Amino acid sequence: MTNRFQSDTDDTPKLNKTVPLIELRNCTMEFPGVRALDNVNFTLMPGESHGLVGENGAGKSTLSKCITGEYRMTKGELFVEGQKIKLSSYSIKESQNLGIQIVHQEFQLMSEMTGLENIFIGHYSRKGGLIDWKALNNKAKELMDFLQCDVNLNIPVHYLRTAEKQIIQLAKAVQSKSKVLILDELTSVLQEKDIQNIFRIIDILKKRGMGIIYISHRLNEIFECCDSYTVLCDGRHINSGNVSDIDQQKLIKMIIGRELTQVYPSINADFGDIMLEVKGLTAPKAFKNIDFYVRSGEVIGLAGLVGAGKTELIQAIFGVHPVISGKIFVKGKEVKIKNPWHAIQLGLGYVPDDRRSLGLILKFDIKENTILPSMNKFKKMRFFQDHKAEAKAAFDINEKLGLNYYSLFQEVETLSGGNQQKIVIAKWMLQNSQIFLLDEPTRGIDVGAKFEIYKLIKDLTKQGKSVIIVSPELEELIGLCNRIYIIYEGMIMDTVEGERKRQEVIIHSLLGVNGK
Amino acid sequence: MSTFEEKSKRYGKSWRSFIRDWIMLFLLIALVVIFSITLSTFRTSDNLMNILRQTAFTAIIAMGEFFVILIGQMDMSISSTIGMVSIFFAGFVVKMGMPIWIAIILVLLMSALAGLINGILVVYGKMPSFIATLVTMNIIKGINYLYSRGLPISGLPDGFNFLGSGYIGIVPFPVILMFIVAIILFIITAHTAVGRSFYAVGGNLEASKLSGINVVFVSILAFVFSGVLSGVGALGLTAKTLSGNVSLGENLLFDVMTIVVLGGTSLTGGRGRIFGVVIGALFLQVISNAMVLMGINTYWQWVVKGIILIIVVLIDSNTKREVVTTSQKARIASVEEK
Repeated sequence: MTNRFQSDTDDTPKLNKTVPLIELRNCTMEFPGVRALDNVNFTLMPGESHGLVGENGAGKSTLSKCITGEYRMTKGELFVEGQKIKLSSYSIKESQNLGIQIVHQEFQLMSEMTGLENIFIGHYSRKGGLIDWKALNNKAKELMDFLQCDVNLNIPVHYLRTAEKQIIQLAKAVQSKSKVLILDELTSVLQEKDIQNIFRIIDILKKRGMGIIYISHRLNEIFECCDSYTVLCDGRHINSGNVSDIDQQKLIKMIIGRELTQVYPSINADFGDIMLEVKGLTAPKAFKNIDFYVRSGEVIGLAGLVGAGKTELIQAIFGVHPVISGKIFVKGKEVKIKNPWHAIQLGLGYVPDDRRSLGLILKFDIKENTILPSMNKFKKMRFFQDHKAEAKAAFDINEKLGLNYYSLFQEVETLSGGNQQKIVIAKWMLQNSQIFLLDEPTRGIDVGAKFEIYKLIKDLTKQGKSVIIVSPELEELIGLCNRIYIIYEGMIMDTVEGERKRQEVIIHSLLGVNGK
Repeated sequence: MSTFEEKSKRYGKSWRSFIRDWIMLFLLIALVVIFSITLSTFRTSDNLMNILRQTAFTAIIAMGEFFVILIGQMDMSISSTIGMVSIFFAGFVVKMGMPIWIAIILVLLMSALAGLINGILVVYGKMPSFIATLVTMNIIKGINYLYSRGLPISGLPDGFNFLGSGYIGIVPFPVILMFIVAIILFIITAHTAVGRSFYAVGGNLEASKLSGINVVFVSILAFVFSGVLSGVGALGLTAKTLSGNVSLGENLLFDVMTIVVLGGTSLTGGRGRIFGVVIGALFLQVISNAMVLMGINTYWQWVVKGIILIIVVLIDSNTKREVVTTSQKARIASVEEK
């Protein structure tokens, strides 16, 4: 039986080992108010596995989206196999025709369809107008042999394990004539032995002459499966080179060792009583036995990788995510928080990570959004809303936060990310919340606005409020928090404060490498 | 530092957003003016009163549907609720000899219960409202026919006719009722916390929940409003003919949906005004009235209304409401440069 996937000797005449598969020159990508990529160069050779590293928000995903055509870069040139690409008409569809495929960490599979259907969706073999299942089955078998994997392709994919679903995603990406494969944090949801399997597959694909762009937070993976690396920081190209020339320490330095672009206000050190304490909080599949506390005037941070359970933890405290055991104390009193309304009455305020879909009502104006949780405070004649008082309160709080706007009746949709975030925080300040739960408060906002949010957090603590921050940016947590809890796979691995509040210490626990 | 007065101007210098907000009112006025000029029978005061009178109860029913669409759901069951209120009211009064007031309270409670069940199915049962209310529509319809065997129940006392055809001075009573209901609902939607919550839930359910709004209560209440208001409308329509009829509401669902959408209510929820519904109802009635006066076959009305609905929905779903006008953009830019 001839296997069209294994014929790596005679069936690869087009492969030219000297022409780069992908070449990006001076790529700049601007979003309103943010420069996500700034003059980045990137080259990928056939048979190369290229690690793309950097902190969250450094521009890794943006870069890969420029390559796949999901974003159209503002400036710069893209060459695919030496051919200059006309950017004005470049699209995902065209990049796929050129053989560029991307696999995301989130599953993009139809969960009710079988693995077979998922792999070949859109390119079914046909016979007389009908789908030729026999041919597809054979093709799938060849493909699985080639990848040396054994996954049941005949059951709906939602029955499969996470790792098996990833194999299906990979198989889907390599089944067509793909030449470039972008793996975007593919392993962040996988366990060690499954990761090894992915590495094995990457090796097979490399031998076939494919180019792999490997994006990961786990630096040891870069050393295990990449030939070369590119480091990005705040959208700038820091360095590229061969992995064999560097070691992990050097790489970490490149990723984090930079002049401080963000300045943090000094951390408040004047604490009061414990405001919120959590003991043994457990929610199945999210987190286990969580203990922490926060005092008035204090900022604590929750650090962890994607999927570590940070957001679920915050939501559990706010009464959104169900818990099965554990206790929550607010100001020393044990409470059972059943729903957000209850949490708000206890003085909690929640700033969600996705402000557009969870924090704001985009079609509403600034005033309505600002007063939403505290509507009941503005009454006249017991039943009626006092619109004037509402507007005045919204005006006062937003002026205090230095919001950029022209009218209180402007829809929040028209505001920039930083200004939108100010409104989500203003909501809780107006409601006079005592404990602020901030989930990635600076996500997707530019440096200037970030600093204003930091100042705001500092002001809150000065007024004796407590703040809990979740952030993927370690530097931010170190700069803002009195104490940082590091969560790994739903459990607190380590708590750092004072002397130990250093990036190296945190990274170790973050990756589960044991920090104690 | 800017002043409060500066930042609390609703429209500012932008006339365009003012016109956009009231576009249906301008169109309605234009329509009335055009028909008044071209049709001599249209401009008589009798005819204009007639339009108002005929609109009144449909408008009240549409105001109920308005709340459900405002929270981003849909209530298909109103056609059966209308039939239920009509036939049971006549049954209670004519067959069982109940006093009218007791019968009214009883049937309105029944319509509220129908709304409550819809709300519970959607909120707790997490059913799509289209399916949940389609099911209750058929169940209620079945109950109606079981109760009446499909036959109308006539013989309601003449005094009850006042609700449908009476006058206070020169103004028909239904018109007064419509405006009273509209004003009460306007106060609720615009000036109470519960009313604002309907908009919030329709605008973004999750964000509303996280802001402490009782989304369960608000959603169920919207369905209850829909049930009760279709009950009020059904009583009025029953009073016109003095007989209970199971099929009273069967052609109304389409008109009601059209009215709510014509009134500027966003089909995805979160945006709309109660007076918009009144304007929408008048708009539709003016068109059917003019068509009758022009002697156009009534079946054409279905075609025309259908086309109107298509046009309005096309506009609603294809113009992503332009959130900022050009002059506002310039102002935002100048603010951000500072």
